[in-house]
Amino acid sequence: MLDGRLALLTPEGIRLSLTPAGPVRRAFAWTIDFVLWLIAVFVIAIAIRFAMGDSNLGEGLFLVVLFLSYWGYPILCEVYAGGKTLGKRWMGLEVVREDGLPVGWRESSLRNLLLVADFLPMMYATGLLCMLFDHRFRRLGDLVAGTLVIYSPKTRARKAAQSGEAHPLPFPLTPEQQRALIDLVERAEHLPPSRCLELADLAEPLTGLRGEASLARLRAYVAGLTR
Amino acid sequence: MKQALFEAQHEALWQRVATLLADKQPSNETQLPALYRQLCQSMALARQRGYSPLLTEHLHGLVLAMHRKLYGTPLERPMTLRRWLGVEFPRRVRQEWRLVLLVCLAFWGVAAAVGLLVWFQPHWAYSWMDWQELTRYEAMYSPSKEHIGRDGSDDDVMMFGFYIWNNVSICFRTFAGGLFGGIPALFSLVFNGMHFGVIAAWLSRDPAVAEVFWSFVITHASFEITGLLLSGVAGLRLGLTLIRPGRLSRRHALISASRHIFPVLVGAALLTALAAFFEGFWSASSLIPPTTKFIVGGICWALVIGFFVFAGRGQHEA
Repeated sequence: MLDGRLALLTPEGIRLSLTPAGPVRRAFAWTIDFVLWLIAVFVIAIAIRFAMGDSNLGEGLFLVVLFLSYWGYPILCEVYAGGKTLGKRWMGLEVVREDGLPVGWRESSLRNLLLVADFLPMMYATGLLCMLFDHRFRRLGDLVAGTLVIYSPKTRARKAAQSGEAHPLPFPLTPEQQRALIDLVERAEHLPPSRCLELADLAEPLTGLRGEASLARLRAYVAGLTR
Repeated sequence: MKQALFEAQHEALWQRVATLLADKQPSNETQLPALYRQLCQSMALARQRGYSPLLTEHLHGLVLAMHRKLYGTPLERPMTLRRWLGVEFPRRVRQEWRLVLLVCLAFWGVAAAVGLLVWFQPHWAYSWMDWQELTRYEAMYSPSKEHIGRDGSDDDVMMFGFYIWNNVSICFRTFAGGLFGGIPALFSLVFNGMHFGVIAAWLSRDPAVAEVFWSFVITHASFEITGLLLSGVAGLRLGLTLIRPGRLSRRHALISASRHIFPVLVGAALLTALAAFFEGFWSASSLIPPTTKFIVGGICWALVIGFFVFAGRGQHEA
């Protein structure tokens, strides 16, 4: 199966899967961060102008704030907010080390300082090229720092097993087929009704029924499988 | 075993793990490893028995979060920064003495060569800068000025802010540029050296201006130029690792080189920030007589050189 996920084998013999994020989504996250930074800098500039008037003291203060926010904002966010700047949080991304653990000061500083190298010669051309050639979408800074940008693992609410009347399967199914069946029934409520019926029709060789009745029979099979 | 029975059996464990994870405080739960292993086992069972994807996904989320909580706990390393700056920083600079020599040559060598050329053949200065710029520099360091080295009546704090923003950023850019085989980092150093050489030689031709100029630069240059050169060393190290990774793969060589050189980068940035303090509040003051500035500047240079020669010797590698 073609799978964009990255499997990490832990000492406990468990396979954890992470999904590396591609250039487009990361570019969106970067754009959001950049716009937020521009807005913040603008607001701070106005605030300093109001508080101190048109003084050189205010201008010096502003430049120090500019420096700290420009270089410090991504690093502080990644170290203290679970690897997410605001843009990454919005896009559902996060930065982790290659072993899936949270990033520390060194990794975060290196990858953010090397953003300059990824920018060269213009508009992040090096970073994009590097991401396109790397199977985990790492840019230069990620390669050097040993980090990875992944989709934040989503926690979906767990539902209880299918209730209702159970019905035995007419013939045995392989584990993969059983999984596919369970998956279909669990996802049924997120699908449009017509699509559901279409899929239920496809299951005619199994249920011997069509339409609504076939879907109900599939539910009964799943109840039998899970309960 | 049917899924419903399995869920009923493990419900208590999953609930406990979920409450543990919801607790953001670093917990003193000594059961964490045992709980994590039980959780891993339940997920492995659920996967192998083909229970519903919703269940296995939920368990995967729990396991991933627990994995991070258990293994992601940062090691307690007291005084890391102090050890880095006091011991590792000078040691690693000494380890890279060849690169230090190279960047010194790229900066000081070029500065000296260009400076000598301008000193003996002043018209050469115009091939780097036009006369307006040179006159502006001359005006900045004229002995009658209240604030030396500045255009107008700019305030100390404003210039401090400017130096922080400008100089530390140059430091970081030089480092990042080093990644491309070291060429951009070397270029940045050579360019800065050339600029410095032209201006220093041009201004030294007038004795009155020369005294003001040299007393202005001597103190903060000790930190600022050292910071710039060392960030160049850090960048060059990465670039050379990319060209000649040794017995590791390029990626692994880069990772280990960046780990090794990181204290140097931090030290270089801190030196440059320190230079901004001196440049903003000390060097520009016309109240302090040049003799004092020369003495303090000399002490600073001695301190910097002494630090890199002697600090951190005889201590064990961390």
